[in-house]
Amino acid sequence: MSGRIAVLVFPGTNSEDETLRVLRDCGGDAELVHWSSPERLAGYDAYVLSGGFAHEDRIRAGAVAAHDRMMDYVIQGAQRGKLVFGICNGAQIVLEAGLVPGTGAIRKPTAAFTHNAPAPHFVCRHVYMKLAIEPARCAITASLPRDALVPSWAAHGEGRLAATSKHLDEIVTGGHLAFVYAHADGTVDDAAVPNGSALRCAGLVNREGNVLAIMPHAERDAWNFNHLERSDSGDVLAPSGGSIIFRSFVEAVSQL
Amino acid sequence: MLHSAPSVALREDEVERIAQRLGREPSAVELAAFDAQWSEHCSYKSSRHHLKRLPVSGSSVVLGPGEDAGILHLGIHDGERYAVVIAHESHNHPSQVVPFEGAATGVGGIVRDVLCMGAQVIAVADPLRFGRADAAESHARYVAQAAVDGIGAYGNAIGVPNLAGDVYFDAGFDENCLINVVALGLVKESNVIHSHVPKDADGWEIVLVGKATDASGFGGASFSSLTLDAEDAEANKGAVQVPDPFLKSVLMRASYRTFALLHERKLEAAFKDLGAGGIMGCSAEMTAGGGHGAAIDLDRVNVALEGMAPEVIAVGETQERLMWALPPAIVPDVLRIYNEEFTLPEVAYNARASVIGRVTADKRYVLRYDGAVVMDVESDFLTGSIRDELPYTEVIRHAAPANELAAVSVEYLLPRVLAHRDVCSREPLYRRYDAVVRGCTVLPRGAADAGVLAPIPGSPLGVALAVAGNPRYGRIDPRYAAEHAVIEAVRRVVAVGAQPIGLTDCLNFGNPRKPDQYGEFVRAVDGLACAADALTLPFVSGNVSLYNESADGSAVPASPIVACVGAIEDVGQVITPGLKHAGSTLLWIGSRELAVGGSVLAELLGVDEPLPALSYGAERTAIGILRDAAARGILRSCRAVSDGGMLTALVRMAFDAFTAGRPIGAEIDFGNPFCESGGFVCEVSDAAGVDLTGALQIGVTTEAPELVVNGTHFSLAQLYEIWSKPLSEIYP
Repeated sequence: MSGRIAVLVFPGTNSEDETLRVLRDCGGDAELVHWSSPERLAGYDAYVLSGGFAHEDRIRAGAVAAHDRMMDYVIQGAQRGKLVFGICNGAQIVLEAGLVPGTGAIRKPTAAFTHNAPAPHFVCRHVYMKLAIEPARCAITASLPRDALVPSWAAHGEGRLAATSKHLDEIVTGGHLAFVYAHADGTVDDAAVPNGSALRCAGLVNREGNVLAIMPHAERDAWNFNHLERSDSGDVLAPSGGSIIFRSFVEAVSQL
Repeated sequence: MLHSAPSVALREDEVERIAQRLGREPSAVELAAFDAQWSEHCSYKSSRHHLKRLPVSGSSVVLGPGEDAGILHLGIHDGERYAVVIAHESHNHPSQVVPFEGAATGVGGIVRDVLCMGAQVIAVADPLRFGRADAAESHARYVAQAAVDGIGAYGNAIGVPNLAGDVYFDAGFDENCLINVVALGLVKESNVIHSHVPKDADGWEIVLVGKATDASGFGGASFSSLTLDAEDAEANKGAVQVPDPFLKSVLMRASYRTFALLHERKLEAAFKDLGAGGIMGCSAEMTAGGGHGAAIDLDRVNVALEGMAPEVIAVGETQERLMWALPPAIVPDVLRIYNEEFTLPEVAYNARASVIGRVTADKRYVLRYDGAVVMDVESDFLTGSIRDELPYTEVIRHAAPANELAAVSVEYLLPRVLAHRDVCSREPLYRRYDAVVRGCTVLPRGAADAGVLAPIPGSPLGVALAVAGNPRYGRIDPRYAAEHAVIEAVRRVVAVGAQPIGLTDCLNFGNPRKPDQYGEFVRAVDGLACAADALTLPFVSGNVSLYNESADGSAVPASPIVACVGAIEDVGQVITPGLKHAGSTLLWIGSRELAVGGSVLAELLGVDEPLPALSYGAERTAIGILRDAAARGILRSCRAVSDGGMLTALVRMAFDAFTAGRPIGAEIDFGNPFCESGGFVCEVSDAAGVDLTGALQIGVTTEAPELVVNGTHFSLAQLYEIWSKPLSEIYP
């Protein structure tokens, strides 16, 4: 029975510590793996790509990192059924690597997370992601309730899903639209979307259901102290809120 | 040779003094070195003796001013003493010329000041003063937009949350914006790394880490000490440094790894930011501070281009560089961390860690280039304190006649106050900054009067941070503005339930060689000292930015800007500002003087009135009442009274509830609710037991999402619309 999780650190990654912390607080056996020792990745069962600006987001967010040597291991692992979970910059990298929606070839993406609209600026805003697939459709969301709402922070300059209408159709018909932006009460409308994302998309899943990419940072709203007014227990240090998606991920890793 | 020395800012008498001491004409390198080291920016030559009046000690002080950052005791977790490191600087002159790069570089520099104390960088804050940015095509609008984008681009990329800050727009900053930056770090007190070598450091190696040295930022220290002239602006662009947050992000992480290695081996070291004066300034201060000298070989510096003059290599201010002084035994491991594990040379062109010299016992500062000695001076003469006793004129406190104010029409004024540029929502600006990276944020910027973090994993200890400095007061009375900045920064930290533990300041003033402008500075220092003494808080770090003077000779409004750090034992106990329940009692605690001088109201009414008196006794009483109410669990929400007065504070408490999905209204009665004299608006579950000599019951909270003031009804939704929109014109 295995279940070791690697949190990848590219040059420019900046959210590795809190991502590692929430995984461990949710019971995960997780470690950081740095870009200077990519070969270490072979020994892990699941990969988490955290937020930041890997390789300076040169060309387009995630575009250069998708060609980092670490991604050879991640792509190979994904093809063998290992779990891959990309968050924000990690989501951009996973998409640029062609792993989600996965409707094109490897490293030939059929969509992009690109500059926010209408104003092309970085936006830091509290949001909710709503699960838009059957939970079991994706291994990583399998333990979430149907229509789960995951409180998170959007904090990105390039988070708007963009693709041709043909590729957007493929995303919908192929069941790749994993999460959409929503309000606290679960209603979904354009006002809930922080970045002008097509399909109000907040997250994408591949066909096999082992690769998930989400733009919002669930790990930044993952402990009671991050949301005192919504705390669900007296322990300010207890994981809650956005941590549910990490719990579900750790659960999936334990079943590998 | 490329880029040799431009004219220096040293005065003739200073050059003479150097030649006399050396017994010969100084070399080009020496001249450039003294030019940087004796600039106002580095030497504080005209301000240092005044700054001595600031209180710098106290039970919370782990390290006072003197090194790259100050350190304050935060609390104990798991038997370990934890402290916060804080530094506060300005990057005003460069930001007026190239605002994006200038402001970004400001963040980069302050982050290094905190990092080099051995700390994890946990937050930044940015007090900003811009000109009138209303006109779409104005330079002031461009500066206001590009500076904010620069701060965001840097802070967001390195993964440090922007926790606090403020912004004012005023014609007095049209030609001189103020970009102040504050950074916070977290360190175990046993792991602090100092900015200077210890006594027994003879033979230690000096290691330069970071970006390859290039010709950018040459003359930066002197540039910051000159008055901006439109014609010079273009020529001065070469003195502005080029920021690289991507490299910094890697440098920070490699440095954290190095800290861990040093603690593991129980070795002492010195670590210092390369700021003004470059390699020379950093290595000279680092070694002289421990009673040593240094021998540096400029040929060993990793450079970005060939053919740079030695003075450019020695004094240029290329960004993203730090300097270690290390016992020789650990040097190979440190080089391996930066160069191999964190692959600096692959991250940026020719970036690396390299040994460039050593610490010497002889107290001489020696530079070699191309095999020859190009600088050889006494370390203490180079870095020792020089002093300019400049004349100043006493600033006469402005005393407007007190007039009987006509009864104010709340119906007319409230929408105008809420839409005022100093009062309206700052969200369009700060939502461009990452407030939540690192996952430690308890109250992000904008959520309350102070930002709050829980920075220690597994511990409920919290740290609060707020800034203050109102240019409307600065224009009227610099001393008052300084006192008020201290009081207001403290209030903001108190309002979230934190215990204030220390202060920093950045003094942004005009030309010290003009006695009236210098007099404003001197008066402001008096004000800071008086307020800090009265509230028994130390200043542990600070910065002086002079020559903020425009071409026509006028200075910026006196701008003493203060940051306050607070400690919180348990972040579960923080006070948030959103109204919690209908039926609560609303209290105004603290100073309620009705003078309106310097207020937004006075500006809207076009009246000149006396400033509200400051009372430290009332301030201490108010803080006591607030803490007591919080301790007894009856304090439901709280906001400090600030720009826009008591009613603005209350309306914002209702907005905070409204946007969180709790439509709670309020009904109050108070003659002139726009007074900004101070205090706190508090929602309490039960006013019984509150000392009402220091508090006034002003009204109650209600179930309807509306506000009733002296009988006039307002819809909260409509007020929110008015308050939230104005800045999105500048920050869409």
